Amino acid sequence: MRNLTAMALVFLGGFALMILEIVGARYLGKDFGGAFYVWTSQIGVILIALALGYFVGGHLADRFRRAGFLAVLLVPAGLFVGLIPNCTGFLLEAIVMRHPADQPIPLLWQKLDPALGSALLFLLPCFALATLSPYMIRLLTPSVSAVGRTSGLVYAASTAGSIAGVFVSGYVLIDAMSLTQIFRATGALTAALGAGSVLMDRLPAEPAAAQES
Amino acid sequence: MSAAHRKLRWACLALLVAFHGARAEVIYETTSAYHRIVVTDYQGMRTLFFDDAMESRMSLQDPLKGHFEYTEFFHLPWLWNERITNVLMVGLGGASVPRAFQRFHPQVTFEAVELDAKVVRVARDYFFLRESPTLKVTVADGRQHLRRSRQKFDLIVMDAYTANRYGSYLPYSLVTREFFALAFDRLSENGVLAYNVISPVRPRRKQDIVAAIHQTLNVVFPQVYQFHAATSQNVVLLATRSARAQTAETLQQKADDLVQRRVITVPGFKGHLRALRPTPGYASDQSLILSDDYAPLNGLLNAD
Repeated sequence: MRNLTAMALVFLGGFALMILEIVGARYLGKDFGGAFYVWTSQIGVILIALALGYFVGGHLADRFRRAGFLAVLLVPAGLFVGLIPNCTGFLLEAIVMRHPADQPIPLLWQKLDPALGSALLFLLPCFALATLSPYMIRLLTPSVSAVGRTSGLVYAASTAGSIAGVFVSGYVLIDAMSLTQIFRATGALTAALGAGSVLMDRLPAEPAAAQES
Repeated sequence: MSAAHRKLRWACLALLVAFHGARAEVIYETTSAYHRIVVTDYQGMRTLFFDDAMESRMSLQDPLKGHFEYTEFFHLPWLWNERITNVLMVGLGGASVPRAFQRFHPQVTFEAVELDAKVVRVARDYFFLRESPTLKVTVADGRQHLRRSRQKFDLIVMDAYTANRYGSYLPYSLVTREFFALAFDRLSENGVLAYNVISPVRPRRKQDIVAAIHQTLNVVFPQVYQFHAATSQNVVLLATRSARAQTAETLQQKADDLVQRRVITVPGFKGHLRALRPTPGYASDQSLILSDDYAPLNGLLNAD
């Protein structure tokens, strides 16, 4: 049961991450337009968030060996995501409008502005979501002899969730829901993952795992 | 690449040459961040393709001929404002519109905004785009450019529509209520927004892209008119800041007057009024207002 919960959390974490990537690129479009650089920035920034989240998540997992600690990251991240449609307009506006009017934006800033906007909005929540994977690998691994299987399983679950997130958001959500609704739902999901990780600590460890350790 | 794969490619290429290449000569080809851009010459006509869809056409003998019919509709805003001097166009393509405006409205200062720098280069090199003090070309996103502009325009022309064999594409940030409000704000008192869109090929559905854009324009602009091209699926929507409703008759009188006083010298100007369609009364189940928050364009443009 504990393993299954962990897999579900990791899967849904990957799912939420990719919704933020795809829908986030759309959201940035109203300020940064249809430029190729918007997608480039969005993909790059999400990958930065992943790298940071994996790195920090691994350290945290060794230090606080309770899943519940993740709630400290995921609940605020969820709240932040839910508020993106209300509270971030001025940030993007400030990025675009800081350039003098009626003059072309220098090419360097045409490239970096969307990355800056994307980082302000999506770096923190995606960082929080990315900590899930290394954390779960640590918690589910009873001994070094099982680390290959466990980490493989966690990677697979997380990637499967990401795949689902990409297709569901790109094929279905954008045509079916408003961006505000999508951000609210993704925020709620992210916060729920925090609650789920608290719950996970209450579940007994799998019998097999208990024997091995 | 496997041998079978290579063979297949050669077979396709041979077919292409047999049916197309043998007739039209490809004189330039490049790939940008947005499109595969191809320029061909065939029987005195130069054609610009984006991703194998025709984007623009021009006669080599007379660059003021050979263009698509719908681009001539962009002269119609003179019916609402005969003192148009400041024009912004979003989407350059093969520069048919700036070429015509330079010739027939020399008093106009024309600014074209194009997202794809390679399209600008192709228009310069192959479609006689000549920049001058009255014709400025900027590489930028249309909406961002308009937002950062402090100028007022008498006419804003939107031609940022593209298509490929999978369907049509309109950047969502250029069809929303918020964008139209921005355009309204940047237009002068009697300003007009002209919007080119392709109506769906398939039989009328409950909701289509023309209906959605028409209604969304109508949220911001008091009057919206539809002009349907006869030789293609293009529909040009004219949204006016002027609140007075014009009929086919009043427009015809105005057109006669403009042509008689030689304010308008574009050939065929009066004939374009035949393209005017009565403003449809959209039923409530057809209503869809596109916004930055919700603009399901994929479904609207390409679903059956």
